[in-house]
Amino acid sequence: MNHLRPEFEQALARRRFIQAAASGTVVLALGGVYVLSDELTREAQAQTRGDGRPRLPPGQRVIQALRPMGGEPGDPSPGAYRLRVYGEVEAPFELGFAELLALAQSEQALDVHCVTTWSVLGAKWKGVRVADLAEKAKLKKSARFVIFEAAHGYTSNLALRDALKPTVMVAHQLNGAPLPRAHGAPVRAVAPDFYFWKSAKWLTGIRFSNHDEPGYWETRGYNNHADPWREERYA
Amino acid sequence: MPDGAAEAPPAAPARARRKPSLRPWLRALHRDVGYFAVGLTIVYATSGLAVNHLKDWDPNFKQINRTHQLALPLASDDRALAKAALQALAVHEEPREVYRASDSQLDLVFDKRTFHIDSKSGVVHEEGQAARPLLRIANWLHLNRGKKAWTYIADFYAIFLLFLAISGLFMIPGKKGLLGRGAIVALLGAAVPIAYVVLSGGP
Repeated sequence: MNHLRPEFEQALARRRFIQAAASGTVVLALGGVYVLSDELTREAQAQTRGDGRPRLPPGQRVIQALRPMGGEPGDPSPGAYRLRVYGEVEAPFELGFAELLALAQSEQALDVHCVTTWSVLGAKWKGVRVADLAEKAKLKKSARFVIFEAAHGYTSNLALRDALKPTVMVAHQLNGAPLPRAHGAPVRAVAPDFYFWKSAKWLTGIRFSNHDEPGYWETRGYNNHADPWREERYA
Repeated sequence: MPDGAAEAPPAAPARARRKPSLRPWLRALHRDVGYFAVGLTIVYATSGLAVNHLKDWDPNFKQINRTHQLALPLASDDRALAKAALQALAVHEEPREVYRASDSQLDLVFDKRTFHIDSKSGVVHEEGQAARPLLRIANWLHLNRGKKAWTYIADFYAIFLLFLAISGLFMIPGKKGLLGRGAIVALLGAAVPIAYVVLSGGP
């Protein structure tokens, strides 16, 4: 039987110890991260919203900052930006970025919930309420749905009554800073009571429609209504 | 027996006839379809791994997010401020756009990043995203964001995969054909999605 030289055995023993210690540290660190983040989730689960629903929808876990979830970026240039508001309205209009900023601004801390199970609580958004844009465009009685239109043909749909809630807005700031490109700069929709894909990034249009038109993800197997409290993730 | 004539030579042994088999054809076809599908398989598999973990990372872009401080006082003219800022930040490309977003905010827009300058405090927030070159293309194909003809290519690829899966069952006979180890392994594979649907409650 072969015996290793003592210094070799010593080196191997040391290596095994370092490997074990490193593995232990990684496991403990990951465990710590998990416990810390779960603390946020547990706190949120214990809270209730003004409408009586739990603050955190089922199946969601709280993280601290929005994650960029991809998508084909639009033009981030504020100078070239145009938002078209049209469809079932008496007075369709288009706005540039500066004109959007000149409208009545709304600043709201809103919770958002991604269908991939993360939630961010109290993100601070600044922008213009969809209800205010609808009022400016003078909605026809035939309007029943709102279609958010975005770069590269992306769309998402909401029922009119949902889109006119005071928390639904087109936002150009996030947490006190200009909306980052990864989150749809210069302007995105924010519809916080629905899974976040409804909140179209790189928003270019708001179309009021008399019929429903399932959007990009809704026609790819995701739920048409997308209520996080009912876990309406998939069709 | 000798009778003045030569003895007839012994008859040659009858050649064993091989049973006609489709297997060699199947193996050849499986191999060639496999070669053809290898590129697309790498695209779909790599991208599948990438987009499967969307909530953990952005598979398409690396995020740029930095803060800088400009020395005060700042120039009051937008063009002069932009020029001074770019010089201070050692940026040598020309901005696509210099945009006064508000009294206190000047935006310098580049292809891949934007500098938001607070023209009162001199704080510059640089943000943007740089594409992950190959992965972004693979993801674009995988998610069929390009649509059009790619739909048909993806359909053909799916049919090729079906052929590879089914032909794979019959390529090598084995001692007991499909009734031996092959059946057990195939059933185990099929049991995974079935068990998942049953245990998770399904859609």
